[in-house]
Amino acid sequence: MDLKTLCELNGASGDEHAVRKAILTASRLVCDDVHIDRSGNVIAHKKGASKDSPRVALAAHMDEVGFIVVGHTEDGLLRFRPIGGIDPRVIVSKWVALGDVKGVIGAKAIHLQSPQDRETVLDYKGLYIDIGAKDKAEAERLCPIGTYAYFDVSFEPFGEGMVVSKALDDRVGCYNLLRILQNDYDCDLTVCFVTNEEVGLRGSAGAAFAAEADIAVILEGTSANDMGDIPERFKVCSVNQGVAVSFMDRASIADRKLFKEMLAIAKEQEIPHQVKQGITGGNDAASFQRAKKGCRTVVLSVPCRYIHSSSSVCSLNDVDAQYALLDAFLKSREVK
Amino acid sequence: MQIEQFLREVTFLLGLSGNEQEAARYVAKAFEPLCDEVHMTPLNSVVGYKKGTGNGPKVMFAAHIDEIGLNVTKIEEDGSLRMGSIGGVDPRILPGMRVRVHGRETLLGVVGAKPPHILTEEERKKNYKRDDLAVDLGMPAKKVKELVQVGDLIQLEHRFVELKNGRFTTKTADDRACVAILYEAMKLLQGRTHEADLFFVATSQEEIGANGAMTAAFAVDPDFGVALDVCHASTPDAPKEATSDLVGLDSAIGPFIQPVLRKKLMDVAAKENVVVQSSVSPGRTGTDADVMGITRAGIPMVLLSLPLKYMHTTVELFDMRTLEEGGRLIAAFSCAVKNTWEDELWT
Amino acid sequence: MLRNTLKTLLEPWGPTGNEHHVVETIKTLLAGHVDSVEVDALGNLIVEKKGTDPDGRRIMFAAHMDHIGLVVTSIEKEGFLRVMPVGGINIYRTDARHVVFENGVEGVAAIQPVKEGHPQFSDLFVDIGAKDKEEAEKMVQVGDMCVYAPTVFDVGKYRVAGPAMDNRTACAILVELLLYAENQKHTIIGVFTAQEEVGLRGATVAAYRVNPDWGLAIDVTGTADTPEVKFPAVNLGDGPAVKFVDRSMVASPVIREALFEAAEKAGVKMQREVLPYGGTDGGAIQRARAGIPTGTLSIPCRYIHSACETVDIRDMEDALKVLLQFVDL
Repeated sequence: MDLKTLCELNGASGDEHAVRKAILTASRLVCDDVHIDRSGNVIAHKKGASKDSPRVALAAHMDEVGFIVVGHTEDGLLRFRPIGGIDPRVIVSKWVALGDVKGVIGAKAIHLQSPQDRETVLDYKGLYIDIGAKDKAEAERLCPIGTYAYFDVSFEPFGEGMVVSKALDDRVGCYNLLRILQNDYDCDLTVCFVTNEEVGLRGSAGAAFAAEADIAVILEGTSANDMGDIPERFKVCSVNQGVAVSFMDRASIADRKLFKEMLAIAKEQEIPHQVKQGITGGNDAASFQRAKKGCRTVVLSVPCRYIHSSSSVCSLNDVDAQYALLDAFLKSREVK
Repeated sequence: MQIEQFLREVTFLLGLSGNEQEAARYVAKAFEPLCDEVHMTPLNSVVGYKKGTGNGPKVMFAAHIDEIGLNVTKIEEDGSLRMGSIGGVDPRILPGMRVRVHGRETLLGVVGAKPPHILTEEERKKNYKRDDLAVDLGMPAKKVKELVQVGDLIQLEHRFVELKNGRFTTKTADDRACVAILYEAMKLLQGRTHEADLFFVATSQEEIGANGAMTAAFAVDPDFGVALDVCHASTPDAPKEATSDLVGLDSAIGPFIQPVLRKKLMDVAAKENVVVQSSVSPGRTGTDADVMGITRAGIPMVLLSLPLKYMHTTVELFDMRTLEEGGRLIAAFSCAVKNTWEDELWT
Repeated sequence: MLRNTLKTLLEPWGPTGNEHHVVETIKTLLAGHVDSVEVDALGNLIVEKKGTDPDGRRIMFAAHMDHIGLVVTSIEKEGFLRVMPVGGINIYRTDARHVVFENGVEGVAAIQPVKEGHPQFSDLFVDIGAKDKEEAEKMVQVGDMCVYAPTVFDVGKYRVAGPAMDNRTACAILVELLLYAENQKHTIIGVFTAQEEVGLRGATVAAYRVNPDWGLAIDVTGTADTPEVKFPAVNLGDGPAVKFVDRSMVASPVIREALFEAAEKAGVKMQREVLPYGGTDGGAIQRARAGIPTGTLSIPCRYIHSACETVDIRDMEDALKVLLQFVDL
């Protein structure tokens, strides 16, 4: 399944079914042992070459950030809140889809704004989705509370080898895990496509509990802050400089040996890579590290500009680098 | 026992988060005649087990038994007590509050407030902070030090009052009113058949991180979970989106809730003519549901809420009829749960 | 001797996530005195000393090995290192501070001038004497950590100051418990935990593995006996404290009561502690699996999370006496 298809599917935390279905189908083509667990995760298991094979878990999250309808105004507008972290400043004047219903996130026209208006940051309480409904009753009928809303955008290649899309975080990870699943390795491999990462690393908790892995590698999309007049130390990582390997973030500290090993393999096999220069963010590595008796973890990320917006950007070279490094790592874990 | 009496008694009992023993013992005793087996967990949750008829799924119901309160952090030179909070106690409710201090004896105390006459204009404009307040025990410091020590628990004043229209007010309706819902349900289930194995758990420590629910769920290892807690009922000063009507139960929609399981609950409610409002929780629900959902290999959860005005005060207010409807719904749900539901969750 | 054990344990470099040197030091100290030794996936050191009573309890004691530090996030072209905190670093206590890296490189951490308001961690940098980025990269890498240099000194007759009292003090007490407990009733499982300072992570997985009957964390706590500090109402030199509450847990009543009972047997007067902030490994143990009755024994310490954390040796000695009774109750 290609990256475009994956990114254009709508599936925010708690509403992953379209993504889950597609990944379930794609996994079953290349793996006999695939099931859906109690958190709605898709878990694919490939037995190791021997009973002494290292137990490795791989994870990427299926859910993207999105919105949910929480109420309706008298004149038929929808009140909404974010699912996961979306800065309200990036959503004004964007198109959304709620199932088959189209809508827009409007705001006061600039002509009607006072100088003070132009300084005020709109927060979610002051924003609304307009679906063209004529009154509250119609709005409630078409989009009752609990309806999910998504950025209505397409995945487009642009520039040189770059793409702009919603949901690169973390469909790039899902995409690469599906590619890994096509191969055979010596390790005992549990590949986890998890739910609810964006609202608190929740799906991965159950997956990690069941996987009982010795090592876990998490594939993610991470913030690249490399455009504009930014001092080096705030860039975090850069697009088109290869897969970013993390030594630490807010939710986990990478296993030191695994971190060094990833860098060594990347260097030896000439896979473009960089060290993520920051400790921001948190991801499913935390769930695996703390499950049961603990596990050694490391995170490999594709740098994404404008993450958690309708138009995040990444380089296809970096996506391939993430795949190549994980593939090389798994091959290096042969049981001799 | 009638529900009103149960509530009146249980809301009085001492059970601050982490020290629920007294309230837990009462609940265990009340559950006993209604269950096949009752036991207390290492962290003082009460588990009432009622065996089902089939190879039924395991369902765990959770309502928390712990209350918010205060403790003694320091005894001052004049014998007054400085307070720390257990769970989220709004300091604005404290001035003029009568409290029970559980030292070597149980003592009546008063949280002092400066008389308005001597306050400056400035002072009167600001809210009291807990650090400015102290408990007055009305006795000399020497006597205080014999009876009270740092770490002793302080309970807020208890008054169980019936208001008009079947409304009641008391402390600790959060969440012993929902423990009462479980009690009602258990009474209704006497003589009814259910496939599922039912675990009615009065959980501990919800107000300080839900450790009671987490560890009880680990031990029970249920297939489905239903958390019961209070939610905010509308008051003039609260945003409409964040509150529910006082009359009628509520069930949240959102990523922390399993949507198919929720629909099953709503279908049962519709069949039984029990009113259940819908609300949205875009993230954490702030109840036992949150930790239960990620315990072990994950537990599909649904949340049932009793609307409550003035939460975390001594005058929490709810509608008794709604509470009783909650009992009816949980009993009906218990009889409706089937093994086949698990296959329907993710399709 | 506690003072010597403490000084030995204050030496190894061990910021959160990099506790391996502390593990080696402790292993050496305990060699021949314990029945089993293992190190788990997160780097916790788990040792066991069996009790004599076949119906005795398995008690898990937790003392964390890690202490706070700074991690290098980028290297400037002028050779300065940009850093972020690992654990609860107080930025004011990190200005013009002597720091050391694992490979021995030493430097000065400093706060650059701030235009207005409070300094942020992005205003912090470390000077290792490199003239440019190229030279710096030969000395340290992005991802490397540094800690406050381990300068330890005596303060008056009974007190000792230095970085890492939080929590090598507790490690020292736990080491001595394992050395001196003899034919005790209950089984002692000594867990020297990793990664406490970033959220009790080591203790979480260790508690799952060990699944003890009881848990007891040993950790330092603040005092209210220096100017203008009110809480917790605990004094340095007045003995160890039974913790009632902190942000990570309400101590289980059965453990609190056992601590008081052990103290009475040992002839030690215990202080009582209610902490409005902070947490210890006890919180992680209490919520493991089906729940474990757990408490914390606190050692008073001034200036926590600084380079001059100060403890009183008499408090430590009393704590050890209490624990020797605790394992025999």
